[in-house]
Amino acid sequence: MRQAHLKPPLLEMRGICKQYGTTVALDRVDLTGCAGEIHAILGENGAGKSTLMNILSGMTMPDSGAISLRGSLVQLRSPAEARAHSIAMVHQHFTLVPAFTAAENFALDVKGGNSAHFSVREAAAPIFKKAEELGWVFDPEARVRDLPVGVQQRMEIVRALATGAEILVFDEPTAVLAENEIEELFAVLRRLKEEGRLVLLIAHKLTEIMAAADRVTVLRKGKNAAVSDISSTNVAQLAAWMVQGSEVLEPAHVLPSLLPRRSSAEGGETLLKADKLVVYGDRGEAALRGVSMEVRAGEVLGIGGVDGNGQTELAEALAGLRKTAEGSITWKGGRFLPGRTLTAAYIPQDRRRDGLAVNMTIEENLLFEAVKDREYRKWSLLRRHSLRKLGQRLVEEFDIRTSSMFLPASSLSGGNQQKIIVARALYRNPEWIVALNPTRGLDIGAARYVHTRLLQARERGASIVLISTDLDELRAVADRAAILSGGRLSPFSLDSASSIELGLMLGGAGALEKGDELA
Amino acid sequence: MKLLKRLGKALLLLSAYPCGLIALLWFTFVLFHIPPGPALHAYKNGALGGGNFNTFYSLSETLVEATPLLLTGLSIVVAWQAGMFSIGGEGQLLMGALTAMSLAWLVHYLPAPLVTLIMVCASIAAGALWGGAAGWLRVKFNVQEVISTIMLNYLALYLVGAAVQGPLQERSRSGPESDLLPDKLLFAHLLPPAVTGGMIARLHTGVLIALAAVPVVWLYLYRTRQGFALRLTGSNSNAARCAGYSVSKTRLQAMLFSGALCGLAGSVQLLGVASRLDQGFSPGWGYSAIPVALMGGLAPGGTLLSALFFGALTAGANNAERLASVPAEVVNIVQAAAVLAVVGIHAWQNRAQLHAGE
Repeated sequence: MRQAHLKPPLLEMRGICKQYGTTVALDRVDLTGCAGEIHAILGENGAGKSTLMNILSGMTMPDSGAISLRGSLVQLRSPAEARAHSIAMVHQHFTLVPAFTAAENFALDVKGGNSAHFSVREAAAPIFKKAEELGWVFDPEARVRDLPVGVQQRMEIVRALATGAEILVFDEPTAVLAENEIEELFAVLRRLKEEGRLVLLIAHKLTEIMAAADRVTVLRKGKNAAVSDISSTNVAQLAAWMVQGSEVLEPAHVLPSLLPRRSSAEGGETLLKADKLVVYGDRGEAALRGVSMEVRAGEVLGIGGVDGNGQTELAEALAGLRKTAEGSITWKGGRFLPGRTLTAAYIPQDRRRDGLAVNMTIEENLLFEAVKDREYRKWSLLRRHSLRKLGQRLVEEFDIRTSSMFLPASSLSGGNQQKIIVARALYRNPEWIVALNPTRGLDIGAARYVHTRLLQARERGASIVLISTDLDELRAVADRAAILSGGRLSPFSLDSASSIELGLMLGGAGALEKGDELA
Repeated sequence: MKLLKRLGKALLLLSAYPCGLIALLWFTFVLFHIPPGPALHAYKNGALGGGNFNTFYSLSETLVEATPLLLTGLSIVVAWQAGMFSIGGEGQLLMGALTAMSLAWLVHYLPAPLVTLIMVCASIAAGALWGGAAGWLRVKFNVQEVISTIMLNYLALYLVGAAVQGPLQERSRSGPESDLLPDKLLFAHLLPPAVTGGMIARLHTGVLIALAAVPVVWLYLYRTRQGFALRLTGSNSNAARCAGYSVSKTRLQAMLFSGALCGLAGSVQLLGVASRLDQGFSPGWGYSAIPVALMGGLAPGGTLLSALFFGALTAGANNAERLASVPAEVVNIVQAAAVLAVVGIHAWQNRAQLHAGE
């Protein structure tokens, strides 16, 4: 790594500025990356990471600033120009066509001549060869939508490499992966580095950066906060740079285990009991294949696992939004009808897709539940005055930062949008809370806020099911945990399980044999 | 300070519409080589108001022409706010008129005001049924309402055709139209000839019904739980579902309500203006409703304004042709241009908002 410093920098971005309307996205940001380096770019949501990378990949033009490659100035006016300069991006949301086969997707990248004969196989051949060099084999006939996300990501990587890219930008590549897949990805990144490429890794999980990167550039509110070798920093320092600059946080705040875990003996009475649930997904597939669980009062049950193993279906079944095909759910031994026999709250996973109507006002978004309340109606008309007061109270109580609650919800930052959802879910002090990845895409401050609120709800005796792909989150908040894999639940211990064991469990195969041992 | 700034912005936006309109009118006159003198003369004499005879008469004409546009426009507001892109106003309106007409024989057995009431209620029910059919197809079989409503329009159109050449045909059996309804069933005319300088103004009770529908729709959309669910479903149906609202029920309700308004428009036109049913009963009110509602920003109040504007244009079309030798089709051009202008302003606003949000 030392010697990487002596080489002329492969990439140098100097004084990059970018303004959207009155919002300054980037303010004189510098970034230097050398060949043979994994360079992490760290920052909270809205710190400017994505804007910087969009500029590098030619999707956005900077207002001012210079980009030079190997010492010579370049202009990146379009993604095509960026590609011509050997810069490639591996997007967080894949750019593959789900209905196409692997070969067809690869063939899309090939500049088609005007020849009447076009063979998908021939066109895709060089990319498959590239994959072979990496030791990856793809079934050319497999439809992309049938492939696991890890494989799809590899396809994206191979596509980027096939363009001869020397600078590879990875936009939050681990967000969709299970722990064992993350390890594999890091191995690939290291290999790319050894081949003399520059890997730019956008991330906001500190432990991953510590594990994978050589150097890190920290952005805060559109400005450079720090540049450092990974070897001369630590997690707490990184978090401090990211959040407030100089002051070092106590490590405990980085991964907040805010309250001591409760052992099962401490818990209250068993409130929810699910017995051998079978639930079908939207396409009629069996998403849950016999899930049983019990949740006590004042307890957080964490459910880990990789997306697409029945998480959404389980959450919706437990929130009363999806019918169970077989099995039963009981509440205090009686009927389970959320909203009728018990007060329930659901925090859906994708706030823009499932949580908010972003075109409606902040106030209206806060009132999804309240308008159903008889208390806020006179005959069948809504009591505007009381509703407005409630909205104002929630904005204050949950610290939603906005100049007016009559602005559309889209005007808020991600963290504040999530506060709307949390406020809506928790203000009525529900006895039963289902949260699905409630902190995905949030920065540390906002995530900690959500966790605190959930734990406060636990303290007053609510039963909580927290379904999350983030094991750190489960460790911080859950009292007990289980892994959902292939539609089945297996218990695991939050304290003892190592990442490798966990990875095996998440992989599905290990779940059944390992599960019993760990419990 | 902030308030002042926002007020200024709102004023600027508000002034954008009339400015655009004036520019448009000017452009239209230039396009048709109409010198400003006659143009102004035409305007003064009611090209844009419906008659050069009497203010009350012009106003009455504007209101009468605006009435079906207002009711069908409100219907579009309800459906589109729920995210149901219904184009079925025409069919629902025709079914309303057809059902009302087919109940006219009751007049032989029941007192006239009661029959009128029954006709109006039946037209509302028929329109709701026609709209609800499209809604039911959507929630049950996921048939896109854009397609089903168009098909239902044809169904209604040919049903009217069959009726006026069959069971409802007038007594002499010569033309494809029904008998005139007896006067005692029709809506009363509101303006005495004395006010309108001897002219018979067509302003009828139905106009008041249409105007009353504006606050009703507004209250429903913005002051009831169902209206909240409706707007939420239209804005993001996933969020509505996750918040525990039944998306299917809401969509069906929206289509029922939307259809009811169009059905009402059918009987209002029948009893207020046409007095008989024929194949050309509607000149496409159900379709014009879409630009009316869009120009009104898919809001009840805005739709009232835009219906009045379109009503004035329609009422003035014939006068314009006569006075300024402007072809009546120009009205359609102005309408389309006005809609484009409004849609353009909205798109521009959204983009500005999007950029500010980044």
